[in-house]
Parts: sequence; C-alpha cells; structure tokens
Amino acid sequence: MLPSIAFVDTNLAHQPGVLLVDDDEVNLLLTALALRERGFTLVEASSGEQALALLRDWTPDIIVLDALMPGLDGFATCSALRRMPGFENVPVLMLTGLDDDASIARAYEVGASDFYVKAPQWSLLTGRLHYLLRASRTRIELERSKSKLARAQSLARMGSFDWRRQGGGMLLSPEALRVFGFGPQDAVTLRSLLRMVPQDERCALLRLLHDSLRQNSVLATDVPIVLFDGRQRIIHAEAEPEFNDHGQYAGYTGILQDVTERRHAEDKIRQLANFDALTGLPNRRQLLWRAERALEQARRLQHQCALLLIDLDRFKIINDTLGHGAGDELLVEVARRLRACVRHSDQVMESALEASGARSHRALEAVGRLGGDEFVALLPEVLDDQDAARVAQRVLDALREPIFVSGHECFVTGSVGVAIYPRDGATVLDLLRNADVAMYSVKAQGKNSAAIFSPLLAGRGREKLEVETALHKAIERDELVLHYQPKVDVHAARMVGAEALMRWQRGGRLVPPGDFIPLAEETGLIVPLSEWALREAAKQARSWQQAFGFADAIAVNLPSRLFERSDLVEHIHQCVTSCGVPHRVIQLEITEDNLMKELQNVIPALHRLNEIGVEISIDDFGTGYSSLAYLTTLPISELKIDRSFVRDLGITPQSSAVVTAIIALARSLGLRVVAEGVETLRQMEVLHRLGCGLMQGFLFSRGVPPDELQSWLEQTVLPRKAAWIGAASAIEAAPARAAVAAGGRPRRSR
Amino acid sequence: MTDERGNATAGAGGPGPAATTRLDDAALAKLRELDPDGRRSVVARVLIAFESSLARWLVQLEDQRIQSDPGTVNHIAHTLKSSAGSVGATDLAQACADLERRLRASEALDLPAETDRLVALGHAALGAVRAMLRA
Repeated sequence: MLPSIAFVDTNLAHQPGVLLVDDDEVNLLLTALALRERGFTLVEASSGEQALALLRDWTPDIIVLDALMPGLDGFATCSALRRMPGFENVPVLMLTGLDDDASIARAYEVGASDFYVKAPQWSLLTGRLHYLLRASRTRIELERSKSKLARAQSLARMGSFDWRRQGGGMLLSPEALRVFGFGPQDAVTLRSLLRMVPQDERCALLRLLHDSLRQNSVLATDVPIVLFDGRQRIIHAEAEPEFNDHGQYAGYTGILQDVTERRHAEDKIRQLANFDALTGLPNRRQLLWRAERALEQARRLQHQCALLLIDLDRFKIINDTLGHGAGDELLVEVARRLRACVRHSDQVMESALEASGARSHRALEAVGRLGGDEFVALLPEVLDDQDAARVAQRVLDALREPIFVSGHECFVTGSVGVAIYPRDGATVLDLLRNADVAMYSVKAQGKNSAAIFSPLLAGRGREKLEVETALHKAIERDELVLHYQPKVDVHAARMVGAEALMRWQRGGRLVPPGDFIPLAEETGLIVPLSEWALREAAKQARSWQQAFGFADAIAVNLPSRLFERSDLVEHIHQCVTSCGVPHRVIQLEITEDNLMKELQNVIPALHRLNEIGVEISIDDFGTGYSSLAYLTTLPISELKIDRSFVRDLGITPQSSAVVTAIIALARSLGLRVVAEGVETLRQMEVLHRLGCGLMQGFLFSRGVPPDELQSWLEQTVLPRKAAWIGAASAIEAAPARAAVAAGGRPRRSR
Repeated sequence: MTDERGNATAGAGGPGPAATTRLDDAALAKLRELDPDGRRSVVARVLIAFESSLARWLVQLEDQRIQSDPGTVNHIAHTLKSSAGSVGATDLAQACADLERRLRASEALDLPAETDRLVALGHAALGAVRAMLRA
C-alpha cells in the first residue's frame, strides 16, 4: 500500500505524525482508521523496506511497527532506523502477538521503545502512543535543557563532578574537564588534579578534604591551581556527600568553577575600598577598622596602643611649585619610608586575628594615609610614651633625608602628634582628634618635631576653635578697630604718616594682633579683615584731613595673598574714591618674608599699585633673605628697619652695622627708611646719627585710637613738649654730629 | 444471507467443519464503532480488504497442502489470526492462533491435515464475508 502522504500534518503538537508499518492490509487499514479517528496523522507502509525509504525524507513523531513481516521484519527495520541519524530517540512501538514473549524481548533488544499486543483495543493503543509521545517530548526537553546547561556551564567556566568512594573514582563532566584545561576524552584522577595545586597549598587542601570525608560534611572551598600551560587559576569547588539507598555514604557530587576573574575583581574592589590608590597604604577606612580592632584587643588584654598622626611640613609649597605630579611622587616616597618605620602589615584577615592568639593584634600595625599629606601610624601595643616617641623619632629621621622628586632635591620634614590609648582617648576618633591637637602644637612651635598629647594642648585647641568662630563674626559685629602709631620725622619734629594696627575688641578686652592675625591668616579670614582695614584707613585719612589737614599716608599691613588678588587695585580705588581722598593716602606694608616668598606672584600688583600712586613699604626689613638684585627693580618706596636691630642699638656693634648697611642701601636706591620699635632716646640718637631720621615706636607714641592720635599731635607735638623733641634739637645743635638727614622725599617709583 | 439471529452466514457447499459460519457480531460492532454513522463505509472497506487478502492467502495455503513448509504456514496463520479476528471470523482466527502456538512450540502435528483445516475454515470465512458484502 502506498503511503498516504496527503495526511501528513506538520503540526505535530496537535496531530502527532505516525508511521504505521504492517504487511497485513486489513490490520493496516483498521489501525490507520482507528488512529485517524483519534487525532493522529498517518503514513502507512506495508513493509520494512518501504518504511525505511519513507524515513529518508520524513521524521514522524512515532513509529508503529508490526514485528512479524515478510522480508525486513519489524526487528530488522527497528535496528536499521536506530542507526539512521536523527532516529536514535524517535519512539518506536512494536506490535506483537499476545503470547509472543520472544518478540517482546527482542523488540527491546533492537531499540523499540515499547510493545503493544495486537488487538482492536484502540483506546489502549492510543493511550500507549500518547504516553510514548509524552515521554519522547520530555526526553527531548531534557536533552535541550542538558545542552543549555552545558553551554551555560561552559560560559561560566563551570562543570560538575562525581567522586565515588569505592571503585568509581573521579568523574568529571566535559565542562569540568575544560575548566582544568583537559579535553573531553582525557582520563583524569583526583590525584592528578591534586598535583595541579601548588605544593604549599596542597597540604591544607588535603587536610580539608580528609576532614570533610571523615565528617561527611559539605565541602566549599577555593583552590589555587596551575594549569599545564603555566597559567594560574582559582577554582571554586562545592560538593555534598551522597548516600546510597541504605543510607550509607557513597561519595561526593558537586560543581567546580573557575573563579579567577571574580576573585581578581573582588581583590581589586577590596584593594580600592581599603587602600590608598596612590601610595598603596591602608586608607582611612581600613585604618579606622584596624584601629578599632587594636583598641578592642588593648581593652581585652589591658595594654596601651598609640596613634601617630604625621603631617608633612611644607608639602603645599612643593605641590604648588613643582606641580601635583611631583607632589604625588613625593607622597609615594614618603609612604615607602614611613612603612619602614613600623612593622607594617599590608593585609589583615579578621579570622587570623582571632586565631593567632594573644599577639595577633601585632598584625594590625601599619602606616596609613588619611588623605593629602596626612598619614597615621597605628601601634597596636606600646609599653609607654617613650615607646611611641621612639617610633615618632624614627619617622622624623626618615623624613629628614632629602627626597629626589622630578629631578629636584626636596627637603621635607614632618610634624607628629601622638595619642595613647586609653589615657588620651577611649575611641579611635578621640585618639585621632587628640593626636591632631598634639600635631598642631608641633606646627605652632616651628614644625619638624613630635609631641605627645596632653590635656593642656586640648585646652589650647578648644580656645583656638572658639577664637576662630568668634573672629568670623567680628567684622559684622563691628568688633574690629584700627589703632594708629605715628611715624615721625625726628628732625622736623612732626608726624609724617601713621601705621594702622588692627585690634579686636572682644568681650570688653582688646585682643592683641599676635593672638588673632596668625589664625586669620591660617583660616583665610585675613582677606576680609584686610579689606575692611583698607576701607577704615581711607575713611580715617578723610576724617583727619578735615580735622587737622592730614596729608600724609596711612600704612596698612597686607599679607602676600592679598597682593595676589586681581581685584586689590580696584578695591583700594573704591575705598579712596568713596571717601574723596587721593590714592596716596594709602600706603601698603608687606613683610620682607612675605614679599620674597611670593615674589613672582606679587610683582604685577606692586607695579599696578605704584602706577595709581599707592606706595609700598617693606616691613621687618633685614630679617628675611631679600635678593638685593630684586630690590633694585621693585617698585617700592620705603624700607622699615626691623625692631630687633633697633632694640640692640648701642648694645651690640652688629646691630649698628646692620642698620648702617640698611640706611646706606636705602639711600643708594633712593628709598625712604623708617626705624621701627624706637623706645629710648638713646636709640633715637644713634639712629639719627647713623642717618635715619624717620622713626616709629613707643618713644613717640604707642598705637592709639584715632582721636587720641589727634590729641597727641595737638597736645604733645605741636607745642613741642615731648622729651624726644628736645633731644633731637640738641643733636641738631651739634654740627659735628650732624648726620645726613634721611627722610627726604623718595623717588616714587622706578 | 443471515440467520434468524441476524448473524451473517456462509452458504452451504464449504468443507465440513465450517460448512456454515457466521461473522462474530461483537467484532462487527467493534468495526462499526470506527464509523458509527456509516458514512465512510468502514465495515465494507474492511471486509473487502479482508476478502481480497484472505483469497490470496488461501491460494498460498492450498499450495502448502503439498509443500508443508512450517515457516510459511506459520506466517500465514499469524497474519490471518489477527485480521480474521478483526472481522469476526472467530473460528478461523482461533484456529490460526492455535496452529501458530503449536508450531512455535514445535509440537508434533500433521501439517497437511492442519493446513486442510485452515483452508476449510478460510473458505467458510470467505463465504461469510462475501455473503455479508452481498447483503
């Protein structure tokens, strides 16, 4: 009978396709009728040969084969089709006789899925076919799922394994073999896998395996291995014990995964989270963690520990002058040196802390970087202050050596503050704060040293904080005032100008500048303070002009950072114009130190100021390191001899020598020269004799409120009642002693 | 021709034991279940197929009266057993099954006589089928 191709339906899900093979046309017809009636699509074949020919072009969902047929019988047909590609798993139902046991057995042997005793029980036959189809679909899904799992495992560098206790040995899936760099056909034993583990790790792994086997426990561990090509990998293994039907332990089953990349990523994350990227030292977070652990241990074991806060001196200068790249280089070198000052441990495992016994806290010892140029050394156990002080000294010594950065030899020193647990604080934050206080006390006393915290320092620190807060509000509360100290021309017995000195009226007392100007400079408040002083000085000049015809200049001290501000000239211009006074009523004083430190940044401002008529005076001259070459080119008008030289005049010959030199220098450069800090007639006489006639100091007047200055002028100077006027006249009267009068109008600029 | 019970019967003239035979009602009813309203003429198509198949097998079976090849007889018996059972030729089906079993068990038997018996039952069944088809 020819196959009824027209009945083939490709919609197998709804109408399964059946190849029905039977040599008996009655059976073929009947079975086909019955199955079609029940929703199958049928292709019929009357012999094994015909069936195999049909299968070359078509794959049915199921094949129903009569066992006994002339020619190629059902058994031979089934054998043949099982050998055909794609037909390995197609379900085959063999039709046999009721009592034909031999055929049933043979049917399974040749690969039939099931048998059915020929009978016109069509519902039973249909049920059997549906069962076989369902089993086939399940099998296909299982195969697909297995293949997907294999693909996923392959992508995840994962594979499974079984280890049988007796006889079976190690069985790895092809994916697991690939994890170890083996091919699917390679025979691998547990021993050969263990040989891939580096020697020093192998013992620990074997111990772990033995423990797991002994206790029948779950195994989960990361194992480092070296592949045959030399690559190092980390394999994560997870396995659980398997038990046989009698509950006896039979072996292990588990998965393996190459987690090298994940571990590297985790290590990287841990590194970034806990270590400073630039220096590789523990960062703030890691350091705080270690310090917390160290404190816990110290509390438990009743010992002391120390925190050393290390701040580099002058780091900002190096960063600003040589650039941030050089600054970074320097920090790296500093980190290297600091690391050598302690028993630095890069890594600390929490478990190790608990496991290593009483001395485990030693592993916490480290130097870390808090940020910027600030480092911390954590000493988890110290016997006493001296113990910590020795490490601090080691740090200072290490930093003192020159550091070569970007081809420059840099000298960096450090200031170290030390706080000891439990005496100086019960928590890490307390200790850090107090180490900070100690460190700042070192900075305040000239840097490059170490100090151990004391409550006295803390008191000073608190006071400083309060002052800083109050200073912020001083301007708006109108607490700042300017006092004025006159500059006098001794020869002419008249005032030739005044220096404005800032005072702070705080809570009924006058705070001297030394107590708040350094803080203002440190915090940046010096800028608004100086701007305020310029406004006030201009107003005062206007006031005095109206009161007594004041036509000289009021000198205002400015820090170098103000000269760097591009709006300084504009600001002064506004101050004087709003008061209706000429620019020359403002004179600016800059200390020699400040000027030289920021020379290149300050020069443009000096020129612009000079152009609008504002004179520049160099304060504290003689104490710094002026480059004489610069002095000849700078647009300055006045040098002020530092009070330290004036104080020793007539006492040490060196002072006279310095003052003489300054006066000579000023004269030759055409600069005015003013002596500061003149307190005695003797000093006045010497200065006068040496050729300096312009002076300032207590001998004439201390810094006084503006109205008092007017009184002083009216009641002391104009009536020529002061002692110094008499003395000066006496000097004038002696022609032999007459010195060249200094104090003529200097050139305004060059 | 049908008897008084409505069973299909074969006319006289066939060999002894099954001179008059009928197709089993239950088997026929089973066939009708495949085509309850008869629109596809399933019963007729099956009977025609059986008639043609049986006629061919009977020719071959008659040859075996002389040749007496157990394998051929066995195959014919196996095939007829199933199809005869399906159309309700119960005696023939039973005889085929019996012979097949005995041959498989290698019992000592008189094969020409057994063949004669099958031929006679086959003819009786053929008569019953034809009678039914004519009815």
